[in-house]
Amino acid sequence: MFNKISKLIAGFVFFYIVAMIVVLGNGSSFMGRYFQDFFNPIANSIGLNTTWNFFSPDPAQTMYLRYFVIFEDEYGNTTADTVEGFYPKSKDLGGDFRLDKKRDSYAMRFLAVDPYRIEVFFTPWLCRKNPGATKVQVELIVNRIPSLDQVIAVVNSNINDYDNILTTEQINRYIYECPHAI
Amino acid sequence: MRSKIKNFITDLDRFLFSRSHFEQLAIFRIMLCSTLFYIACFRQMNIDQLGPNSLIPRELALSVFPDFYRPVVQWFFWPDSYVGTVHMILISLLFLASIGLTNRALLLVTWIIHQGILNRNYAMLFGADVIGGLFLFYLSFTKCNECYSVRRLIFKSESQIQKPVDPISSAFFRIMQIQICVIYMYTGFEKLKGNSWWDGTALWTVFANPQFSQYDFKFLSHVPLFFAGATFLSLVFEIYFAPMMLQQRYRNIWLSAGVLFHLSIGILLGLMPFSMVMISTYVLFLKQEMIHKWINQLSILFKSIRRV
Repeated sequence: MFNKISKLIAGFVFFYIVAMIVVLGNGSSFMGRYFQDFFNPIANSIGLNTTWNFFSPDPAQTMYLRYFVIFEDEYGNTTADTVEGFYPKSKDLGGDFRLDKKRDSYAMRFLAVDPYRIEVFFTPWLCRKNPGATKVQVELIVNRIPSLDQVIAVVNSNINDYDNILTTEQINRYIYECPHAI
Repeated sequence: MRSKIKNFITDLDRFLFSRSHFEQLAIFRIMLCSTLFYIACFRQMNIDQLGPNSLIPRELALSVFPDFYRPVVQWFFWPDSYVGTVHMILISLLFLASIGLTNRALLLVTWIIHQGILNRNYAMLFGADVIGGLFLFYLSFTKCNECYSVRRLIFKSESQIQKPVDPISSAFFRIMQIQICVIYMYTGFEKLKGNSWWDGTALWTVFANPQFSQYDFKFLSHVPLFFAGATFLSLVFEIYFAPMMLQQRYRNIWLSAGVLFHLSIGILLGLMPFSMVMISTYVLFLKQEMIHKWINQLSILFKSIRRV
């Protein structure tokens, strides 16, 4: 009897979780939205509602954040030297087996997606790390990886030409006020 | 009609509850928990990002999740100032789980702390954290300490082991098998949405990106077909993983290809923990006899080493 009840419970749990796995594999689809109330509270809490997209839809370009921490008094006069920095510190070089360094790279990509995140998370964090700072200027540096066709056409004669076809863009350059300075 | 329903129920019962797969679960536990232990040890170096000086303030920790994915429960129940201690407890629990000195309740506690750590700073998550956490959750419902565990060694000798079928373990074993198939399937489908994957040049973008690649592979542009071929094979591997697991004939070939695939990613892109989490799930598709054979071979090897 006990075995039958535990089988019944296990069977119910099995079908519920499997349905959740299948539907929320593509959670933003119509099915995902339709069954949102039925699955999401549990799926979100156990970490199941995640998009399974590794290196997709397209692998990311090389990118990092460049920032200047500015120190000014109430009249706009500079009170200390501006601090220039990069996040992650390794800039465009991430080739490291150390996971703690890789995490900074992941955090940068999280921030780079949306300038709002720079304002709300990155700026206050930098200001806290630099007491007395009043403003932070942040920009995203993107090194666009040349396409394979370009590389074949240009570089194959000389691999050193690679750097010439690598394009660098500076985007989303904004100045943010430190929260405590406002 | 009635007999068909009866047959279906019998088949379902056999599929879900005929065996508990304790051996597979035990090896999976060892591989998964030791990988999570390794990740957690490194995470200790980023502990400032999980405390009061984190990039994500505590009060905004859940709001950074998009609405559709936001957890209902805030698993990080500890104050930020205690995160160092809590994380050390997590490391210890993962170690105990690796050697099999744990039980279902303790594994669930391990998962709750792990999930709390992940929720506390969503910005710094690896794929290995997320997938590893999910499988740790499933594993906590199974009797994964029945074999190859210190607990078993202390409390009962191997000969005394009675292995009745545990329906919960069995059901969660099947859930984990389905989960990994779905992960591969959707990962493959997502890639098809990208131009570079469809174009056959995605792996060039990955290998030419110094933030991903451990070594300089630009010289491989002299062999462009390498990238086209490898991109195509990656897609085929991921999309067809689930159908191949259903085919006993091709299962081991596909799993071997998967080990090669993930080891390459691990070594060349420095994503070894992710690779190990994925490879650990392959044990769930191995036959019990094969595991016995490997364990026997390993013990013979160890004995011969000891003799030497």
